Amino acid sequence: MAKPSYEEARDELAKVVAALEAGGVGLEESLKLWERGEELAAICQEWLDGARAKLEAAKSAEE
Amino acid sequence: MLETSAEKPAPVRVISEALSEYINRLGQIWVEGEIAQLNDRAGSGMVYMRLRDPSVDMYLEVTCPRAVFKAIAPLADNARVVIHSKVNFYTPTGRLSLNAKEIRQVGVGELLARLEALKKILAAEGLFALERKKPLPFLPNKIGLICGRASAAEKDVKENAKRRWPSVRFETREVAVQGADAVIQVSAALRELDADPEVDVIIITRGGGSFEDLLPFSDEGLVRLAASCKKPIVSAIGHEQDTPLLDLVADLRASTPTDAAKRVVPDIQEELTRIKQLRDRADRKINDLMVLEMTKIVSFLQRPVMKDPIVMVTSREELIKGLRVRSIASMRARLVRAYDEIEHTTARVRSLSPQATLDRGYSVVQKSDGSIVRTPKSLAHGERLTLRLAQGVAFATAEGNSESAPKKGE
Repeated sequence: MAKPSYEEARDELAKVVAALEAGGVGLEESLKLWERGEELAAICQEWLDGARAKLEAAKSAEE
Repeated sequence: MLETSAEKPAPVRVISEALSEYINRLGQIWVEGEIAQLNDRAGSGMVYMRLRDPSVDMYLEVTCPRAVFKAIAPLADNARVVIHSKVNFYTPTGRLSLNAKEIRQVGVGELLARLEALKKILAAEGLFALERKKPLPFLPNKIGLICGRASAAEKDVKENAKRRWPSVRFETREVAVQGADAVIQVSAALRELDADPEVDVIIITRGGGSFEDLLPFSDEGLVRLAASCKKPIVSAIGHEQDTPLLDLVADLRASTPTDAAKRVVPDIQEELTRIKQLRDRADRKINDLMVLEMTKIVSFLQRPVMKDPIVMVTSREELIKGLRVRSIASMRARLVRAYDEIEHTTARVRSLSPQATLDRGYSVVQKSDGSIVRTPKSLAHGERLTLRLAQGVAFATAEGNSESAPKKGE
């Protein structure tokens, strides 16, 4: 599966959290959701870290 | 009909007499034309002249007894006359002439009335209509100029045009602009210039003159020719108040030769000034646009997101962090619930266990297959048994039938 875009990852993460919060899911299913959530959060963070690095690089090039 | 052939030719006298007889049959006729050459030799009883057609190059000789001529003398050149005459073929010389019995000058009033009538006809045909007028080129390649020989009108047109546009070019036709030849020559020049591919506009001009002088420019043939020309025609005939019919059919009527020059070429200074003004306006406009765009860019750069772009990342990070926190919290809650479930179930399991009973000293006897022994009948002799006690397991062997043992309570 291709790496999702930031927005795709963020939207899926929001859905995962909403599903966890709603309850009514088995423990095993909950655990899977939580793991998926962590994975998605990591992908988002990765995107954001990349963006931050570009900004920093641009800023340091400017100075 | 005379019958002649190479073998049977007719002698001159027969032909001359036949012509004379034929011409005599015309009888007394009224002819109108312009007086061209007038030969009034003193001492002669006769006055000789030529009567010209005003529109085409055709004339007739006129012989007029001095007495008849005197009735209307002096006659100006080109005077319009009506002659009552008899056509005479003079057999001794073969000359044909009109023998005038009476000459009447055609009055200005009558000519004006005729012009007025012609004007009405041409107007009714739509020859003066505005929609027929062709626009003048902004800058003509060559200008066709029809004017009198070495005339002031020619000089005026050329000098004024050059002043406005120094490189202006003319294709000039110097022609008779009054008198008997005017219509013919002006028409020929007009045809020629209209056919010249280099000529883009044609000016017909002449200075002021008498009513009769300007008559050729109201000639029906010339006016119709001008109307049929492919190229735009500017007419500049006489003074402001003169309006020959050519003025009405022309695509542009200039009041004077100078005015005609002004209308056919643009003023170079004026054009240069106009171009400069347009360029200045364009420069100013583009400059204004650049300033406006720069202002926009600067204001964009001053927006928080551009000044502090890290906000883009941090705000999203907050979001993700928030989602994670919620995710972990939910997961924890779910685990706590799971523990609770387990504890509860364990307690229930425990409460159902036989341990308490065993603790009180009871034991459970099980067969080797794990089934619980509830009656001696199910036991065989020597069968291996497991005894589940409160604190462990012991093994035993069945030795006697329960049937044989006495029943003693529970």
